[in-house]
Amino acid sequence: MNSKRFSPTSSTIKSRFTRRFLRALLKINRQRTRTPSSPMEICQRYLKVKLAADVSMASAVGSRRAWSRAMLAKIRHGVRAGSTSSLAMRKRKIYHGKKSTKEVGIVGNAKVLRKLVPGGEAMDTCSLLDETFHYIKCLSTQVKVMTRIADQICST
Amino acid sequence: MDMVGGDKDKFELESRNEEDPMNFAAPSPSPSVDWRFGGLVPTGNPMAVSKGSTSMVVDSFGPTLWDQSQTANPQNLGGLFSDINNVQNSAGNSDTLGIRKGTPAAVVTLPRIDHKTFDMGWNPTSSVLNLKGGGGIFLPGNGMLPQSLSQFPADSAFIERAARFSCFNVNGGNFSDMVNPLESMGGTNYFRGGGMMQEVFGGNGQSHSQKNEVMNVDEAFKDVSMSVGEHEHDHGATGGGGSPLKNVRSHDEAKQGIGVGGSGPGNDSDEAEFSTAGGQDEPSVLEGTTGGERFAGGLESKKRKRSEQDTELDLAKVGPQQPGESAKDDTEIQQNGDQKPTSTTNKSSGKHGKQGSQASDPPKEEYIHIRARRGQATNSHSLAERVRREKISERMKFLQDLVPGCSKVTGKAVMLDEIINYVQSLQRQVEFLSMKLATVNPRLDFNVEGLLSKDILQSRAGPSTLGFLPDMPMAYPPLHSSQQGLIRAGLSGLGSSSDLHRRTINSQLTPMTGGFKEPTRLPNVWEDELHNVVQMSYGTSATPNSQDVDGSLPPGHMKVEL
Repeated sequence: MNSKRFSPTSSTIKSRFTRRFLRALLKINRQRTRTPSSPMEICQRYLKVKLAADVSMASAVGSRRAWSRAMLAKIRHGVRAGSTSSLAMRKRKIYHGKKSTKEVGIVGNAKVLRKLVPGGEAMDTCSLLDETFHYIKCLSTQVKVMTRIADQICST
Repeated sequence: MDMVGGDKDKFELESRNEEDPMNFAAPSPSPSVDWRFGGLVPTGNPMAVSKGSTSMVVDSFGPTLWDQSQTANPQNLGGLFSDINNVQNSAGNSDTLGIRKGTPAAVVTLPRIDHKTFDMGWNPTSSVLNLKGGGGIFLPGNGMLPQSLSQFPADSAFIERAARFSCFNVNGGNFSDMVNPLESMGGTNYFRGGGMMQEVFGGNGQSHSQKNEVMNVDEAFKDVSMSVGEHEHDHGATGGGGSPLKNVRSHDEAKQGIGVGGSGPGNDSDEAEFSTAGGQDEPSVLEGTTGGERFAGGLESKKRKRSEQDTELDLAKVGPQQPGESAKDDTEIQQNGDQKPTSTTNKSSGKHGKQGSQASDPPKEEYIHIRARRGQATNSHSLAERVRREKISERMKFLQDLVPGCSKVTGKAVMLDEIINYVQSLQRQVEFLSMKLATVNPRLDFNVEGLLSKDILQSRAGPSTLGFLPDMPMAYPPLHSSQQGLIRAGLSGLGSSSDLHRRTINSQLTPMTGGFKEPTRLPNVWEDELHNVVQMSYGTSATPNSQDVDGSLPPGHMKVEL
């Protein structure tokens, strides 16, 4: 199903994401040391790979989507803010406890969804669902591509 | 005919989005229609026809054309615009004015594109709209209209709507905006202009295709409006024909002077207004159409087939059906319960033309109910809320198609739960895969990136999807073990094939046991990041076929679904 889509056009989200992600992966792997990596190194590399995946997906989507814009903005400005916000969120968790994903009602679920989808906090429910739709599509594409890459790396 | 009035509006709207009807026609396999305008080959969308007719309606001769257009049969148009339409369909258009259900093929080619006059406002919209199907808005000659006009019971209403309709022109451009966001969704053919979900038509149209036969013009309107307003999903009350976006539906509302903006989300207020307008004056037909319109796509296909039926029969049916449908829709919307399934059911049932003219009494009653409801709904807040709710349910429907395993789920809350779980599982998968890629030895250095991208871009069955989660435990030994053997085993264990994985595991059972103990010594830095992933992997490795601890879909299902 994808072949017909990819062969004629080369500028689909999937192809763009693949190219960017592979480039980032190569760059990250070049930084690897030849010796077996320590867990810390692996962890940091994992974070870099995850960030590369997010960035490449968001940039492949471009600015057409609110969630990609929000994700890119968060990445660009949120290196410091992210750490602080994550700390703040952890503190909040201590006070309020982990939020159950099974919140009652549509509004409650929408709140949880807002947290999951980047940029979902400042959206009305209608556009939130739109963004969620597109976000799910891109996430599944991302997963597919990454599994293919991982298979390629591991099998070859 | 009451519907005429509403149709007029719809036609106008449709004419603006001439392209939309064409798009709608796409799902239906109809001979190419020579659309004057776009030169697009309509796939026989009744909507396309109706669109053209809407422009006619502007001249206050809507309904008859509408019927024909709905059926998207050139024949129908011919009936309506005996002179104007060079209906490709040779089917005799018995009805002069009428609502001809015409051949569903709906290749309507209007000899004259009178809509030009009406297109002024919509030109930007139509240009935006990609008419895939028919792309041509046929506007029967204005001269023809008088004939149809006679059929319109509420001429004054139509004229009023026509006057109001001009305001839609402004909004015509909004449709494209509305539709565009949804374009990418689901990879369906979304009509740019009308926001009509071609996907809906494609998906639902087939299912409802059988019902199209009986659809009369009114239904056609509904379909058109539905397709148009798919995104909008708001014109519950607007009887507007399937005009590309709310505008079409707002025809009914138009008389209220509410310019329904084409833009999707932003149209809530507009839609609310429209529904109000529609509710007050609109004949039941219009209302019904609106309700029908909201119904995704399926109605459209129904309408096309319906074109075949007599206009009168259709009208009668449409009238009662529409109000019934709209009533049902309203009810559903108000109940906020069923959302998609129920509303869809109601609409489809209401519009099911094939069922033949249904007893007019019950529909009339519904119509009355609608009236009452309209009275209640005239409150702008409730109308806006209803519109908003419709939009939300429309979007939820799309999400339902996207998220695997949600077809049986009904209800917004449960659906949202599933969606949340799915998003979480996808995010976790990404985290897991990125960790896997981070741990794997970099053999990309000599790997040609192009080779990989080419390979990856080519769709191939990914055997790793099944095994990638169980690979997680395998990753630990390489992480912590300095033994080359373990690392190699771990790496090979990361192989995508589950068979390979199992073999590796078995072969490395002894060293693996040591490796499995490693996770307990994982650095704390992993905890926050990999907590979920670890749980997931362990959970899945233990029970590969069961849902993971968080309830996300199992990897096997993922593979199938994805």
